[in-house]
Amino acid sequence: MTAIGLLRGTRVLDLGSEVLAYAGRVLAELGAEVILIEPPGGSPLRTVPPLVQGEDGTAVSAAFLAYAAGKRSVVIDLNGPGGRSQLDRLVASADVVLLGDPARAGGPELDERALRLVNDDLVAVSATGFGRTGVRREWRGSDTVAWASSGMTFPLGDPDRPPVVAPLGLTNAMSSLNACMGALLALRARRARGSGQAVDISMQEAALSVSMEAGPHMAAEGLVPGRVPRARMAGLGVFSGPNGTTVDIAAFLPGQWDSLAAWIAEVLRMEEPLLEVFRGPVSVRAPYIEIINGWIAELLGHYTKQEFFLEAQRRGIPCGPVNGLVELLDDEHLRATGAWEEHSVPGLPPFRLPRGPLCVDGVGAGPSRIPAVGEHDDIVLG
Amino acid sequence: MSPDLPLQDVRVLEIGYGIAAPVCARTLGQFGADAIRVESVRRPDSLRTTGSGWVPLSVPWEIRRDTGTGINGFTCPEKRSVSLELDMPGGRAAFDRLVEGSDVLVMNMSVDAVENLQLTYDRLRAVNPALIYLNLFSFGSEGPYRSFRTWGGNLSALSGITALVGWPDRPPNGLPLSFPDYPSSMWGVIAVLAALLRRDVTGEGAELGVSQLEVAIECIAPSLVRAGVSGAEPPRTGDRSPRGAPDGIFATSDPDRYVAVSVLDDDDWSRLARIEELRSLSTDPELRTADDRARRQDEIGARLSAWTSGRTAWESTWRLQEAGVAAFPVVDNLSVLKDEHLASRRFMQALPHARFGAELCYGQAVTLSETPARSTRAAPAFGEHTREVLREVAGLGDEAIEELLQVGAAHEMTYREVQLERPYYGWIRHLLPLQWPPASVDPAEVLFARLQQAYGEDA
Repeated sequence: MTAIGLLRGTRVLDLGSEVLAYAGRVLAELGAEVILIEPPGGSPLRTVPPLVQGEDGTAVSAAFLAYAAGKRSVVIDLNGPGGRSQLDRLVASADVVLLGDPARAGGPELDERALRLVNDDLVAVSATGFGRTGVRREWRGSDTVAWASSGMTFPLGDPDRPPVVAPLGLTNAMSSLNACMGALLALRARRARGSGQAVDISMQEAALSVSMEAGPHMAAEGLVPGRVPRARMAGLGVFSGPNGTTVDIAAFLPGQWDSLAAWIAEVLRMEEPLLEVFRGPVSVRAPYIEIINGWIAELLGHYTKQEFFLEAQRRGIPCGPVNGLVELLDDEHLRATGAWEEHSVPGLPPFRLPRGPLCVDGVGAGPSRIPAVGEHDDIVLG
Repeated sequence: MSPDLPLQDVRVLEIGYGIAAPVCARTLGQFGADAIRVESVRRPDSLRTTGSGWVPLSVPWEIRRDTGTGINGFTCPEKRSVSLELDMPGGRAAFDRLVEGSDVLVMNMSVDAVENLQLTYDRLRAVNPALIYLNLFSFGSEGPYRSFRTWGGNLSALSGITALVGWPDRPPNGLPLSFPDYPSSMWGVIAVLAALLRRDVTGEGAELGVSQLEVAIECIAPSLVRAGVSGAEPPRTGDRSPRGAPDGIFATSDPDRYVAVSVLDDDDWSRLARIEELRSLSTDPELRTADDRARRQDEIGARLSAWTSGRTAWESTWRLQEAGVAAFPVVDNLSVLKDEHLASRRFMQALPHARFGAELCYGQAVTLSETPARSTRAAPAFGEHTREVLREVAGLGDEAIEELLQVGAAHEMTYREVQLERPYYGWIRHLLPLQWPPASVDPAEVLFARLQQAYGEDA
């Protein structure tokens, strides 16, 4: 076997939901046949901002390119004659439908009930702002709004400015991963039960599913984190050196502190860091945050970001460089492990996408391509 | 166990630390698997070590290790706990018998630890050929960083996530989470489920490896595309998202409170017209198309902000949601605790624990219509089920179990009679009306009595 084929034989219909675009990609990486249904002219997903531009004026949605690889494209005019019955024929043959938000489905009434009437075996996955049940089930959501509704925007950023947004599309990605878990659970349940079911993803809950460290149970314990000044603990957090070298360090265990202290002492040629008063658990160093963090900033001045990262790791100090994306695309580990797949689309320069994080029996996700509009009409509908 | 759960016929062993593997096993347990956590006294999960902040360090670790809220309510509900020392012959032999009797093994161990403890796939598949074996590595099993140690924000920083959060004119803030752990746990569940689907048909096991770094970069793939095509860093955008106009965080009449609003397409934009004060904005002929709005997003943001600044976050939210536009106040975690919508979906629950009458547990963001997740128990106490698991699953007799406990190759829950209370039992029922145990101490009553004593007679 040369590519992950765990879901070979599983047919997934992707109705072009923005929130579940990544879910379609994940299932494609696992070997499923994922069919993107596009209206004539192409899915609105292809032009969702932010766009990336080519020299000849071609402009395509970055999010579309990020998650369309590995999918087949079929054009169906849901508002035209015969369109709905074409869809129904596909639905009848499908295992999973990624529906997204029925209110944003952009066609005649498309919800999990209607689709499951066509095919009782179907696993129908919806993803809405607040879920399909509950007092706010009619409310609208979005990537930004879902993250805010989980309490996770409140502590983001600096105290002297408004809170900031999470990275583009991050909450959508969490909704998609939850959706994939739901779809596969439903497929397994189907074996025993003989029929499919509906999977309901609330984007608010998807954001909460990543919130342990800043979440509601902490409030019960009396901790309501807000936007705090940076560098809260000695030797822990994001540090910048004089030449802009920025790293994230976590030297809090006593042994890790000893290592860091020895390093500072060696390079900055001073004895102070080795003093007994600094040694022990992180609480011991709390009164000396400014001094210690100052030493670290100075130490950073002697290295490039990557050099510091490698040297810290060599000395047993947990550390990661604060990478920008251009340098991430060139990271030596990711290149060495074949983490990237090259892609090209007419009108744009070539770019790389993550190949996928899973290896099954030593084999990764298979090669994939970004489909043109209706590229697979013949194979799928013909 | 309900007969209707997708994984009722599956047994999962977990050797997990922190979030990634433990949450993977928790989800499998919530959907019916018999999830058994194999824990070590000599190499305990850090969430066991830290316990709960208010428990004094002088309290024996055998009690403190059962008090952590993260472990009790998030990473380990719906599991059993057996404690074995895998580097002792008796412990290892017992573990091998557990592997024999299980379907899945889930870990997030370093490459070196897997080697040292002889927990490689080859070694374990010799014990159980149909085993589904999963390791959630930080960096995958190969490559120059494979033996590197990461903690907290290190991986977020490396993966580019940290650099994407904050203001363009300042160094980045990053997220206050070990972010990659969470989607990695989900990838673990997805991989295990897909492998189970295959095994149901072919009978074969699988060796599953997930790289947490590669999970993280895929979560920010849209930004990677921007960087890759343009050759330039996508700028940090502070309180605005580049996805829509307007899309971001806006001021309210309370200087410390904000509201999140997203107008993502022409439909959303036209709905703003349903709000009288925003009608002229929404019907402005020069802002008709998404392109127009993208070019003038600062101006649009300012005009929306002028409106939201005149009212509270909830007022703006109700008006916008009524019009069909996505909005929500930027709430803190205390507000989320008492969120009536989450309560109507029973998201947060009060579940029984061996030491606490009830623990506050997170629900499951995956809602299935016919086979919903079970929520029967909070996390196990450390070694709470050592005897029963060794008897039932490893098939050991009582004498053999006693022997393991004697030599310290196995451990079990001690101080069983010590029962604890969460300080919040007294007041949490007012925010989240679930089945909370009574509080034996009411701090307000104590304080009132003291005040009475000190000042009551003289006043």
